[in-house]
Amino acid sequence: MAPRISATGIHKNYGAVEALRGVSLDVRPGEIHAVCGDNGAGKSTLIKILAGVEQPDRGEIAIDGRAVRFDSPTAALKAGLATIHQDLAVAPDMAIYQNIFMGAELTRSVLGLRLLDKARMRKESLGYMAQLNDSITDMNAKVNALSGGQRQAVAICRALRWNASVVILDEPTAALGVRETEQVLQLVRSLKKAGKTVILISHAMQDVAALADRVTILRTGRNQVTLEGDLSADALAHYILSGDTRH
Amino acid sequence: MNAKQIVETYGTFLAGVALFLFLLGFAPNFASAANLLNVLKQVSFLSILAFGFTFALIASELDLSFANVCSLSAVVIGFLISTEVDWPLAVAAGVTTGIVAGLLNGFLVTVLKVPSLISTLGTASIANGLAFMITGGVAFVGRWDADFLFLGRGKVGVVPVIILFTLAILAAALILSTQTRTGVHIQATGENEEAARRSGINTRGCKVLGLTLSGLAAGLTAVFLVANLSSAAPQMAGDFMLNGIAATLLGMTMFTPAKPNILGSFVGALIIVMLSNGLVLLGAQYYIQDIMLGIIIIASVAVSASVLKRAAFAL
Ligand SMILES: Nc1ncnc2c1ncn2[C@@H]1O[C@H](COP(=O)(O)OP(=O)(O)OP(=O)(O)O)[C@@H](O)[C@H]1O
Ligand SMILES: [Mg+2]
Repeated sequence: MAPRISATGIHKNYGAVEALRGVSLDVRPGEIHAVCGDNGAGKSTLIKILAGVEQPDRGEIAIDGRAVRFDSPTAALKAGLATIHQDLAVAPDMAIYQNIFMGAELTRSVLGLRLLDKARMRKESLGYMAQLNDSITDMNAKVNALSGGQRQAVAICRALRWNASVVILDEPTAALGVRETEQVLQLVRSLKKAGKTVILISHAMQDVAALADRVTILRTGRNQVTLEGDLSADALAHYILSGDTRH
Repeated sequence: MNAKQIVETYGTFLAGVALFLFLLGFAPNFASAANLLNVLKQVSFLSILAFGFTFALIASELDLSFANVCSLSAVVIGFLISTEVDWPLAVAAGVTTGIVAGLLNGFLVTVLKVPSLISTLGTASIANGLAFMITGGVAFVGRWDADFLFLGRGKVGVVPVIILFTLAILAAALILSTQTRTGVHIQATGENEEAARRSGINTRGCKVLGLTLSGLAAGLTAVFLVANLSSAAPQMAGDFMLNGIAATLLGMTMFTPAKPNILGSFVGALIIVMLSNGLVLLGAQYYIQDIMLGIIIIASVAVSASVLKRAAFAL
């Protein structure tokens, strides 16, 4: 079976910084694939390239065996990849529902004009939000009135709303409390159950161990190892600390 | 809504109502039909220009060229009509001039990455120079087609057509900015360009559109201005520059506080024209107006304008 996503030999420099020096990643259809590694290993850079936010200096990306070039975030979204970025990128001065539906606003026809369907967007936003955090009920509230974890919930809802077949989450639980974290993990499981492919970046080894089918560990911009099978949090931590490349 | 929110949202509007009532009571002749119509006519020119500036500002770009572009469009219309070109064609050319200037601003900002604060100053200077070049420094006066003048002076019943046009443009601008995908995309681009881009919004297109709408507004205003005054001269819209900016900034203190918005700009234009008119009627010295305008600009930004600060300091 062709990998759902395959990135090969990805290089990315930021000026003199070599963020990625030939990273490869194969993600199978329907799996939860974790990407781990220390701070600065290049995880977010790889994700930005898959999301079309940044373009690689070298290397190829293929979706279902077909070569693609994502020269904009729109291209990646159209190819069915939705991403929750580590920096969230919300518009704090806009309403929750406007953030959730940003770029994919719902409309209805009024006298032949396509006008925004704000009532439906608010209602559907509430539905998405209820899966993650049922304490947020006013979809007109501005995002800057929310806590860090609540903002994260908004960013996750925005990705869900695309109904993409591949969902990429870059440290989705970083700002979350215990209960919200559990809800996000539950959500990741339900995404998998719904047949979606998930790429999960996380520093929380117990979460990775509990969820991931496979784990790719990056180290200073290179592949260290890709692990499969029963993984414990301790074993994962050992790999990241030691730089061990044996499976 | 609590009291604080009501003041934030409607305070300026209510102050405008109070100003209106005050002038009705105390400014000699303010309430005369002729004076009120004159006020509304001035509001028409000013508010259409302010709508354009507002759209650019919603995209977080400053268009400092709209007044000079308006003068240039006016001169283009005057020149063409004076050379016997049919007036509809001249009008189309004038409006196109505004659009082209807006597109140029959009190109400078999105492709050449010159901040709008600087690039539109450059465009303003170019437009000014071109206007003087076309006229040779004098005004176009003389024979104008009666149908053309109707645009600026005609009436439907007792209502000047120019006011009807303005209300139609107000309605269109309101719908575009608050009820359409394009409108929220422009807003999202202005609020957080990177978030908008990652959400699949064509942020460059939105910036170009915001600046182009400003150019379009300048071109439209030029048509009404020339038809109303039956003359066209460089610098004829010069006074609208600070007034238009002040109307928009004052508008940011109402309805959707701290955000540029079309309805606010309209009420802002009403307040500023009423104030200028009232000051004259009350016998204030001419320089008081400038001082007042400066205070409005500074005070509005001080209380509200995070968007403006973002636009101005995106250098
Ligand atoms: N826009 C940028 N400009 C310059 N350097 C950058 C930029 N983005 C990332 N880098 C550098 O690239 C390297 C990889 O960064 P990246 O954000 O991909 O790491 P990461 O694995 O996501 O780390 P973390 O776990 O801290 O999120 C780092 O050395 C970082 O400093
Ligand atoms: Mg990262």
